[in-house]
Amino acid sequence: MRSPIRIVFEQRNETPKYLSTLVPLISVIAALVAGGLFLLATGYSPIDTYSNMLSDGFTSSRGITDTLGLSTVLICTGISAAFAFQMNLYNIGGEGQLYLGMIGGAWAGLALGDRLPSFVMIPTVLLLGSLAGAVWILIPAYVRSRLGTSEIVTTLLLTYVAASLVDHFVYSPGSFFVTKNSAFPQGRLVPDSASLTAFGDTSLYPTFFLVALLALVLYWVVKRTEFGYRIQVIADSPRAAHYAGINANRTTLSVMLISGALSGLGGAALIVGPFGRLDPGITLLGYGYAGIVIAALARNNFSAIIVSGILFAGLRSGGDKLQISTDTPIHIGVMLQGAILLFALGGEAFRRYRIHAVRAERAAQ
Amino acid sequence: MNENIWVLASADSVAIATTLILAALGALFTERSGVLNLGIEGILLTAAISSFLAADASGSIWLGLLIGSLAGALLAGIHALLSVVLRANQIVAGLALVIFGTGLANFLGKPVEGKTVTTIIHPLSFGALSDIPLVGPIVFGQDIITYASIAIAILSSLYLFRSRPGLELRATGDDPATVDAQGLSVASIRIRYTLFGGLLVGLGGSWLMLAQSAAWHQASTTNGIGWIALALVVFAGWRPLRLIFGAVLFGFTLQLPFTLQAEQITFIPSALMQMLPYLATLVALIALSRPSTRNKLGAPKALGTPFVRDER
Amino acid sequence: MTNTSHEVAKGPHHESGAAPSALSAHSIVKRFPGVLANDSVDFDVLPGEVHTLLGENGAGKSTLAAMLCGLYQPDSGYITRNGERIALSSPRAGLQHGIAMVHQHFRLVERFTVAENVILGSRDLSFRLNRSELENRVSAVAESYGLPIEPGATVGDLSVGQRQRVEIVKALYQGAEILLLDEPTAVLVPAEVEKLFENVHAMTQAGKSIVFISHKLGEVVEISDRVTVLRNGRVTGHVSGRGTTDTKELARLMVGRDIELTTQRASHATGHEVLQIRDLSLNVGGVSVLSDISFNVHAGEMVGIAGVAGNGQRELADTIAGLLSPTSGSVAITGSMSTDRGPIHARELGLAYVPEDRLGMGLVPSMSILDNLLLTRDRHIVVDRASVQPEAVRLIDQFEIKANGPEHIARKLSGGNAQKVLLARELSGGRSATKLLVVCSPTRGLDVGAIETVRALLDDARSAGQAILLISEDLDEVMSLSDRILVLYRGSIVHETPGESAQLATVGAAMAGLSTEGNA
Repeated sequence: MRSPIRIVFEQRNETPKYLSTLVPLISVIAALVAGGLFLLATGYSPIDTYSNMLSDGFTSSRGITDTLGLSTVLICTGISAAFAFQMNLYNIGGEGQLYLGMIGGAWAGLALGDRLPSFVMIPTVLLLGSLAGAVWILIPAYVRSRLGTSEIVTTLLLTYVAASLVDHFVYSPGSFFVTKNSAFPQGRLVPDSASLTAFGDTSLYPTFFLVALLALVLYWVVKRTEFGYRIQVIADSPRAAHYAGINANRTTLSVMLISGALSGLGGAALIVGPFGRLDPGITLLGYGYAGIVIAALARNNFSAIIVSGILFAGLRSGGDKLQISTDTPIHIGVMLQGAILLFALGGEAFRRYRIHAVRAERAAQ
Repeated sequence: MNENIWVLASADSVAIATTLILAALGALFTERSGVLNLGIEGILLTAAISSFLAADASGSIWLGLLIGSLAGALLAGIHALLSVVLRANQIVAGLALVIFGTGLANFLGKPVEGKTVTTIIHPLSFGALSDIPLVGPIVFGQDIITYASIAIAILSSLYLFRSRPGLELRATGDDPATVDAQGLSVASIRIRYTLFGGLLVGLGGSWLMLAQSAAWHQASTTNGIGWIALALVVFAGWRPLRLIFGAVLFGFTLQLPFTLQAEQITFIPSALMQMLPYLATLVALIALSRPSTRNKLGAPKALGTPFVRDER
Repeated sequence: MTNTSHEVAKGPHHESGAAPSALSAHSIVKRFPGVLANDSVDFDVLPGEVHTLLGENGAGKSTLAAMLCGLYQPDSGYITRNGERIALSSPRAGLQHGIAMVHQHFRLVERFTVAENVILGSRDLSFRLNRSELENRVSAVAESYGLPIEPGATVGDLSVGQRQRVEIVKALYQGAEILLLDEPTAVLVPAEVEKLFENVHAMTQAGKSIVFISHKLGEVVEISDRVTVLRNGRVTGHVSGRGTTDTKELARLMVGRDIELTTQRASHATGHEVLQIRDLSLNVGGVSVLSDISFNVHAGEMVGIAGVAGNGQRELADTIAGLLSPTSGSVAITGSMSTDRGPIHARELGLAYVPEDRLGMGLVPSMSILDNLLLTRDRHIVVDRASVQPEAVRLIDQFEIKANGPEHIARKLSGGNAQKVLLARELSGGRSATKLLVVCSPTRGLDVGAIETVRALLDDARSAGQAILLISEDLDEVMSLSDRILVLYRGSIVHETPGESAQLATVGAAMAGLSTEGNA
């Protein structure tokens, strides 16, 4: 009698702790290996590419501070995605909310001019950027909570609208955001009072610590407060929330607005930090999309997002430079991000299930 | 106002609708089986560049279309593996596919950035018919894939509602446990239609490349058409025939910015005009989710949920 | 017990010289994580007979049935069909051998028509489907067994009894010779049960074999030619003979000890009116779900609401609990109006509510027992878990909940223990002391031990002076516990009777809409 082999998924009763770390780690390694094979097949040297990436991102002290600097915005978009994802709200428009954060932040900086001291300006710019991010998700959030319109496509469509808005503000003649009479369109720099100073000769700004702290605060909010309790109940069973008198509509709205604000904060952090102006180049960098990967890799755990955000920043800051140091196209970095997420999702199955092959006929004597 | 340009605009709407019809049909088949594949945009891009490279290297449009379609199926295969076999979160898996597909397409496309493909798909010639005012350019000025896409949509409708496998497909999206109890394999049905869906999306992406764009320009080749296609499936209530009309409608909004520019209508800045198709899609989605219309739409009930046989 | 033979696990071929069994299971073993669901079980069914698998919830009868129809595969042991060994690797293989299962939860696509459901999965169909031809074919099969169905109707619009008939027709259409009926009467009113039994009889007359799965002793005795009793995954006895069997003996075999499920209805002096419902009507989406309902529940009284699922029970409970706003009429708890003021206000007035859906509505599956205790309480801005910890420990102890402690995740509790957690929370009061308890199907799906405990807890609550509204589809439960019984049919109360003098026939007729008081 033939004995076909069947793959059996057996739900784990208890997930071993080590798997929660091991699975994402192996996913990253597997993606790098797969990416390496791909590079090899397309005629590039994987070793050169990766060593360039790593030496830029993680080994030199300059590389490390650059990595931390870049991680600031990635942690923002990461916690933005995770904050919504944990309640099964798929805000995938963090990218667009990030642009709006930049627009809002730049507007605040330019409109207030050099009249106010830094300790007022910086928080104002960050606040307005966050607010703009929240405004950008307002319509998807409202229709989601009132009408149940899926937020997935609506938030994403608005990213395309936001990109056009950035273009409009930078390229339309006489725009508030650009330098008058400049030869080519370029965002106007915000005044010094709205700019933070980087540490030494690096691109690490104090906003990194603010954002890392924010991630930890959110962690505490979700685990310990009434608001977090509500989020957990709604995420697991909306009917139980209804039963307990928890207003799911209001919580949905709040969570999405906060998520939008966090991405907006990321954009504003670019204004007070490295960019200093509304830069149309932002639409090519995909920091918002990276946030989705970072959140998923950290399984929406806010403290883990700090780690995965830094890890990604390392891949990115190396990847962004790749174009200069080698002839490997920059896009290998984006592709690797996608591959890491794909592997992490596949790995999730091994975390949740004990997977083994059995012979179907084993039972029969 | 120049009347001729509006006729051309309508003809363009039908043309652009081709990609929308094919991509949305691909999504529709996938979703009817209960699998949500948000990766359409990534699949379109990868298919587009694959078809470009294949057509460019071989000089054959048909090979380009074939390779592009297969690339679409291949990427959809990754989605099927993750969401059907490994029971991953389908939403995140789809997003991962968008990111991966975008990176992959841009990586492959880097050497040919801005280059034009040597052979492109030309409209069919119907002789005198194409010269009929109004109707001529719109109805008889299209290429073979455009006509094929409409035929595919009509055949899909018959397949879905008038055939045995169509019945099984709809049942799988609605109630996989019942299909399983009937001894049909939910996993195999879902994998098959996810692959087939990817094939259609791939064909759409290849056509977009070889007939519409002709030159590779990174992500702006698709410009979010994949996402609009996903909204279109909702708009069409998961029905292929309605999808044709929706596609022409959305196609109209997609070409409108270009027409207005050509018409020198500049009271709306062009960057803002670019927003139009996305805003129109957004409004359509919101209008459709009014409780009174939502129930009638008929989304597959098990859409996005992995099927696990109920082991106690 | 003249025809009873106690051949415990001796094998299926106890009637030597008889025709070969249509289907037999030999020494079947099936394990699930942490559970030995079937422990070398033997079972067989002859052509034209009804052989019942009797056992309480979790005894392993559904698991065995699932293996007999190919849904699961045994870890060891084998199955024979007409004496020949067969491999049932899938439900399709089962159907090819003429074995079909009618599941407790119907496997029907609600949006499809009856005919579409019946033909789904059939291989003998052409690629193209001709609707009217199919409907004729389906009708023909149904009528040949005296099962009237309307092939063009949408299944979502049918009653439970009609859907069950569709399931049976589907099995017959696919050429089933052996039908496994999993708890087929659980969802039916007495009149529908009788109709089902007639159908079963017609099928056995036609030579079909029926495997009847049940835990209800009365009907088992009525319908079965033979009975196999399962307990904890093992066969504890075979009993044969229709209608001559001693139910006490079956019960002992099933549970392993003598049980007394009919609690004594002590006569209480009932107190003031705790729940007052006046002219309550509810429309959902333009459809009337409840109409003109008025009744009271007094302190120390248990009022039972009987009725077939879907006649407005869930909506009635939700309206009382403040989860739904009535279209007209009022609900008052302890004299204060609670209409339209939400669930938290109702709880502040002394309401406690155990919904039918334990895990997913009453409890949050992924949360700990401790966090679930907090669900209906005031939690402050920063959730104060530390102060609830001692109470959680005390309640786990007091309600004899089998758990590792307050951090035990609700999803990982057994059905009985989950229900105990829910009752512990609701009975111990939260926002105020519990005065009114609304419970829906409190014992559904529990094993006999847990049923006894839950009923005792309800009884204690009544003795302590709490007013209890018991809403259950289990007519026996309502009949045996309630001081007063109301029958809900199509959103109206069509019958009212004191619990002591309630007649099964009268209440059953009212549930089916045949009451003289209501509009039949």
